[in-house]
Amino acid sequence: MRTLTRRQQLSATALAVLALLFISLDFAGGSLSGARGGVTGTLGSLYRGTDAVLGPARRFVQGVPQVADNRQRIAQLSQQNLELQRRLTAAQLDRATAAELGALQLQADSAGWQILPARVIATSPGAGFQWTVTVDVGSRDRVRTGQTVTDGAGLVGRVVQVYATSAVVLLAADPASGVGVRDSRSGQLLLATGRGSAGLSASPLDSKPDVRAGDVLLTGPAGQTTYAPGLPVGTVTSVHAGADGLVTAQLRPAAALRTLDLVGIVLLSPRGTHRTPLTPGGGG
Amino acid sequence: MMAVSRLAAAAAGLITALLLQASLISPLAFPVPVSLPALLVIVVACYAGPGVGIGLGFCTGLLADLGSDHPAGVQALCLLGAGLVAGKLGGLAVQRGYRTRGTAALAAAIGTGACAASGLLLAILGSHAASLRATVLSLPPVALSEALLGLLLVPLVRRLLRAQGIRSPRPAATVLGRIPVAEPPAGRRSGVAA
Repeated sequence: MRTLTRRQQLSATALAVLALLFISLDFAGGSLSGARGGVTGTLGSLYRGTDAVLGPARRFVQGVPQVADNRQRIAQLSQQNLELQRRLTAAQLDRATAAELGALQLQADSAGWQILPARVIATSPGAGFQWTVTVDVGSRDRVRTGQTVTDGAGLVGRVVQVYATSAVVLLAADPASGVGVRDSRSGQLLLATGRGSAGLSASPLDSKPDVRAGDVLLTGPAGQTTYAPGLPVGTVTSVHAGADGLVTAQLRPAAALRTLDLVGIVLLSPRGTHRTPLTPGGGG
Repeated sequence: MMAVSRLAAAAAGLITALLLQASLISPLAFPVPVSLPALLVIVVACYAGPGVGIGLGFCTGLLADLGSDHPAGVQALCLLGAGLVAGKLGGLAVQRGYRTRGTAALAAAIGTGACAASGLLLAILGSHAASLRATVLSLPPVALSEALLGLLLVPLVRRLLRAQGIRSPRPAATVLGRIPVAEPPAGRRSGVAA
């Protein structure tokens, strides 16, 4: 075994003390935020360059496990399609309700969400570190901190840091992330918390919880969450009641967090808070 | 001149490892937290000694820290330790003539240790994403995938360190002392010398 020279021993001790100093400085308050911003911004631009070269190869490898999966997926989708058509027929029976839904749909359209497409260019190591991805759009593309990120199917997370040409997105699966959600069947409110690689779990805020396996949870209610409302967060796979009476629901995330590639950032339009009142006879 | 080219090579290797980690290794190995920068530090330290391991480990760790959201210094401390241990144990591996597989296994073991240490440190610091259970559960897959990655990395690093411009000016293995050898019998002296 090699032994350290006296100088090496000294420098090892000095660097260890320096590292501890950094930890305590950073832990006490953001006194390193300048250095951090500089390094993250620079790495962000480097990630863009690297992704342009390595991205196609990565996307190919990521796609390989799903090739066999596609046949099953088609069957699943056609099943779902039939189910949706059945529901649509049921909805048509109640014309009044249908008209109302149509008007609400128009309202949602006129709320004017704009979705900015973005490509994932870097991923954090996970496990212990925060669950984040870096995307290739930044403040130049009107991305701001706190904006909601979706992959088209469901909620991915929200923007936590913005640089000129890149932004960092905290995934909903991060254990520090909490999302206010609504059960689309019972209308109850829940808090969905990240569980890392185990996906998400949700705990009801109601004293008489009404959550069942198969329920779809959506972000919301509007105005009371920092997330854009009405996005699917996940489907309840199982519900457990603890010995202390606390109910926890396991969720299967709606967004494919494992193979994130193209995502959309919801840019709320300038008139996002402005609403036109419904007028009689104005609906569809 | 030699020092400048060594420094440039170290910086290039470090940044390449960080970029490959974020854009290729992390997304493909998800959710196993394999770390290419840590493995690079360890393999380089195995061949170049603890002095290089300490410096390279600290710099790589600090850069990785500042590029992410957890308290800065965590990775720096862990990779500093990993570089130190790899530098010390690497001498043993070189002495015993370990080849690629042995060195990769040693590097994977130290890398897994560094992963455990950073998970533990983050759990102590109260990072939300870290827990003791998750850290322990992630160790076996990390060990396996780092050993596989090491098989690719070890020959590469060995070849790179032998390159003329960045070769260590002194032999990396230090002589600890000379063991006095008993005078062999006269008849076998020529055999020992051969």
